[in-house]
Amino acid sequence: MQKSALTLLILISLTLTTLNAQWVKTKGKGYYKLSAWSLVSDQHYTDTGNIDPNVTRGYFNLNFYGEYGITDKWDIIAYIPFYSRTYQNKQISGTTGAVLQEGESLNGIGDTDISFRYGLLKTSKLALSASLKLGLPIGNNSGGSDGSFQTGDGEFNQLLQVDLGIPFKFNMVPGFAKTYLGFNNRTMDFSDELHFGAEAGLNFYKNKIWLIGRILVVESLQNGSLSNQTNQGSIFANNVEYVSVGAELAYYLTRKLGISFAYGGALSGRIIYANPTYSGGIFLDIK
Amino acid sequence: MKFKPIVLSLLFSLLLFACIGEDIIADFVSPEIRIENPLQSLGLNESHQFEARYLNNIGQPENVAITWSSSDGSVVAIDENTGLATALQEGQAIIRATAVTTDSLSTTTTVEVTTETIVENMARNGSISSTSSYTLVGDFILEPISTGSLVLSFSENYVASTSLPGLYVYLTNNPNSINGAFEIGKVAIFKGAHSYMLPGNTGITDFRYVLYWCKPFSVKVGGGNINE
Repeated sequence: MQKSALTLLILISLTLTTLNAQWVKTKGKGYYKLSAWSLVSDQHYTDTGNIDPNVTRGYFNLNFYGEYGITDKWDIIAYIPFYSRTYQNKQISGTTGAVLQEGESLNGIGDTDISFRYGLLKTSKLALSASLKLGLPIGNNSGGSDGSFQTGDGEFNQLLQVDLGIPFKFNMVPGFAKTYLGFNNRTMDFSDELHFGAEAGLNFYKNKIWLIGRILVVESLQNGSLSNQTNQGSIFANNVEYVSVGAELAYYLTRKLGISFAYGGALSGRIIYANPTYSGGIFLDIK
Repeated sequence: MKFKPIVLSLLFSLLLFACIGEDIIADFVSPEIRIENPLQSLGLNESHQFEARYLNNIGQPENVAITWSSSDGSVVAIDENTGLATALQEGQAIIRATAVTTDSLSTTTTVEVTTETIVENMARNGSISSTSSYTLVGDFILEPISTGSLVLSFSENYVASTSLPGLYVYLTNNPNSINGAFEIGKVAIFKGAHSYMLPGNTGITDFRYVLYWCKPFSVKVGGGNINE
């Protein structure tokens, strides 16, 4: 499951991307969010893209996400899952009621992302930014009785991404649309990846509500030598691919403070869990 | 602030979703009784101690009383309680083993009385196929070798998916579970002919299925019957 953790992180990122992420913060401004995130999965996409069952595994984390404008052009971004939990259900015989396999769990800190974003261009009609995300493998990548319980993937990701966004109005409702393209350089014999996707949001009810939809595509470059046979104890190994969608509803309780709920899930994929993810949290938007 | 307890309640509610639950495994199989040491032939005036095993509704051996009978006591006589059979004259008789259970399960084996006793220990074959979306196909043969041990050999047409983590092969009497199964080992060969040497105490009638199981997913990938 070395790979599953990374996949999860990507799915997490699908539900954590902040509003108008292509627009960098100006100096001293920030966006901070405290969230709970959950995935409970009893099925997965196989190597052929079909869906097969698996024992129910759950992933849960409490995380901090923060963006801060170091200068008018540079932002620093952190994603810290300070409490990550991976667990597996107990298996009970449907015939005798006996416990066939006890449940198991692993708790700890998860892999942490540190990103740097630079505003390349900002006009009234578009914004262009580039970012470098460093995935720090500080989680546990080999826990549990069989080594398949993880709070991290054990490898150092470097995702270089370009975001292009435009503001617009739809029936007098303000909104934004963005697209992005990224290259994820991966270590430890994992294949590198291409990430691309799009996002659109509308701002309702006196600017208090944001409704956002997202789509993310991950394509493996199939250039890593890691396999399930060399990747001991992992559930998902290399060359994971998927198309996922997400939606987020954010509500500003005050001018700065709000709550948000997000959903994410894979529409199709290979070697990835097939159940949806949910998250909810509270954010502080220092504009 | 008013919303603070709401948010905290929400976070704690989400935490409840991270509790370990229960998965119910459909592991029922039909109970059966199996004669473990059938004969090809029984030598005239010679005796043979039959052994039988009762497998319950999850494919586990269970101690139950077994009674024995012969279709022709003048050819093969058998002790009703012990299963000790004696050949009295040349010919053929059907030996029946019946479990003393509510369902009175029984099974039979045919005994040919000839000049010598030959214990049936013939090779058994079968084919594996996938019961999942992962590739698994091939023919196998389970046979004794000169040392008396058994070897499970797969043919050249064997192919298994390399995409699964932790793919293991088992011998079992319940294709829906690895509970009580004999774990041969982790699959390391995914294409072509290969074989596994089984422990010396493994009998050729001990198991009914070859089972391929993904341990981390705890699911059956495929398998096949060991034909008699």
